[in-house]
Amino acid sequence: MSTPAAAARLRDRLTTASMVGPALLLFVVMLVVPVGLSIYLSLTDWNGYSANPAIVGLQNYLDLARSEEAIRAGWVTLLIAAVGTVLLSVLGLGFALLVNGASRLNAFFRVVLFYPHVLSALVVGFLWSAVLGTSGVVNGFLTSKGAEVLPFLSNPNWALASLIGVLVWAGFGVNVVLYLAGLQTVSRDLLEAARIDGASPRQTFLNVTLPALAPVVTVNLVLSLVTLLKTYDLVVSLTGGGPAGSTQTAAYLILWDSFHNNALGFGSAQSVVLMLVTAGLALTVARLRSRVDQGVKA
Amino acid sequence: MSVIRLPRVKTEVVRPKPVRLKGGGRIAFLVVTSVLMLVPMYLLVVSAFKSQQDILTHPFSLSPDLLTTEYLQKAWTNPDFNIGKGYAVTALFVVSVNILSVALAGPVSYVIARRTERRYRVLLLLFVAGTFIPSQVLVIPVVYTLKFLGLMGTIPGFVLFETTLTLPFSIFLYAGYIMTIPASLDEAAAVDGAGKHRIFWSIVFPLMKPAVVTMVILNTFSVWNDFVNPQIILGPGSGLYTVTTGVYAAVSQYSTDYTVVFPTLLLAVAPLLVIFVLLQRHVISGLTAGATKG
Repeated sequence: MSTPAAAARLRDRLTTASMVGPALLLFVVMLVVPVGLSIYLSLTDWNGYSANPAIVGLQNYLDLARSEEAIRAGWVTLLIAAVGTVLLSVLGLGFALLVNGASRLNAFFRVVLFYPHVLSALVVGFLWSAVLGTSGVVNGFLTSKGAEVLPFLSNPNWALASLIGVLVWAGFGVNVVLYLAGLQTVSRDLLEAARIDGASPRQTFLNVTLPALAPVVTVNLVLSLVTLLKTYDLVVSLTGGGPAGSTQTAAYLILWDSFHNNALGFGSAQSVVLMLVTAGLALTVARLRSRVDQGVKA
Repeated sequence: MSVIRLPRVKTEVVRPKPVRLKGGGRIAFLVVTSVLMLVPMYLLVVSAFKSQQDILTHPFSLSPDLLTTEYLQKAWTNPDFNIGKGYAVTALFVVSVNILSVALAGPVSYVIARRTERRYRVLLLLFVAGTFIPSQVLVIPVVYTLKFLGLMGTIPGFVLFETTLTLPFSIFLYAGYIMTIPASLDEAAAVDGAGKHRIFWSIVFPLMKPAVVTMVILNTFSVWNDFVNPQIILGPGSGLYTVTTGVYAAVSQYSTDYTVVFPTLLLAVAPLLVIFVLLQRHVISGLTAGATKG
């Protein structure tokens, strides 16, 4: 008697499985299994080709804690992520407010601010290294005018500042677009009410616009942070990690150790730490922000 | 899609304009910023037509007697990197990844958005957690997964991995978007006897176009511009160069010979940049439309 119902339920289950299955299978094979493999490899001394890698326990993590190079790459990455996230968010919101109007001129400005995102980070790096390098366009021009050469990419501190500058140049247009999207959701009624009540533009911004943007701010912070923590392509093409390793990021060092130094176990240990730090920081920011969001509502 | 364009028709009065600098100051500030944004692109374009000497001594000059197409032709026929083939290979990847990504992420997002059981919330969290895995680091163990599957160094292997990288954000965006589409539409179709696949593809999918447009734009940029994954998965041995790995092969050894660097970079960025400039309004409104509702 229940056979038709059971058959219908089975059919329903099969349909659901056929909709979920392919994506889940691919996700597991290409993402979950490799992450598991990274964790396993981080406990071995594998060099990438030997048949019998030995299990070395937490040795790679102990080595990591003592590796000056890896620790420096970690700090460089955190510095890039922290400074970059602040700059991207501030510039993103600031310029979104400036180009929010519907005029043709604003449409032009939006395009100009966004276009570097269309270029690959690799190309952006090569382009800026040709502009800023010791024998690059800017220095070539300075030399021909008899001025001193500026060490944009040849002094460690300058190189790190240049790297962050180029990251921001290439990336803040995305934040502008995200904030523009957020500004469309600010309640027109509230803005109108604030205007009628005689609130100054500044008061309106602080009390109406900014609270309404809170979720967008969170999305911006998390996205920028996650993106900057994996900075790699730009390092390859702009500085090559130099001078003297001063702009090596975690992702750069991980790929270098894994494939050039054949220290796959050690590279994997760094990968695991980077993944944990990325997830940890992103969740912390999201958690802190959600407290802010709730504070605003209360 | 209409979300951002709506204000064009509506009156100006209620637009949020909080920190308005005085008209002229705002424009002047934006003009200066625009110049800073555009100078590198200007240098890229004009330097592609100049000799090494002229690039360094007259970087900004547009004088016609400095300009020549000689270096651009040389870059186009560079034996290290066939740019025409690079365009074709990269475009093939962009199209394959976009189709596969929508085909896989669409149905699963539909199930996640419509089912209320806890296991589908967990499934969504699992997919979204993928956003926190840096692809540059993930590619290392993926090399060995692909070797095990016999897909290392192949186009299907690369396309499958690249598609996987699009899944977390696509599913997050699509599921959020589908939740805003009334389920009563599906129920009406179900009463008419349509199956789930049919309901999704013929009723829900057309309504989630803004979110799909957003993802297609984002995925097109990220696949076209990806460097580390094609470099490692396809490798120099496969003879398959994308635009970025080809640029790397052509430019990295000659990084101070600007008559190689600038023309090659210009050819590398030209197609996507031209498409972007032609479609700029649709790209930017497409990105915001998907983002606001999702």
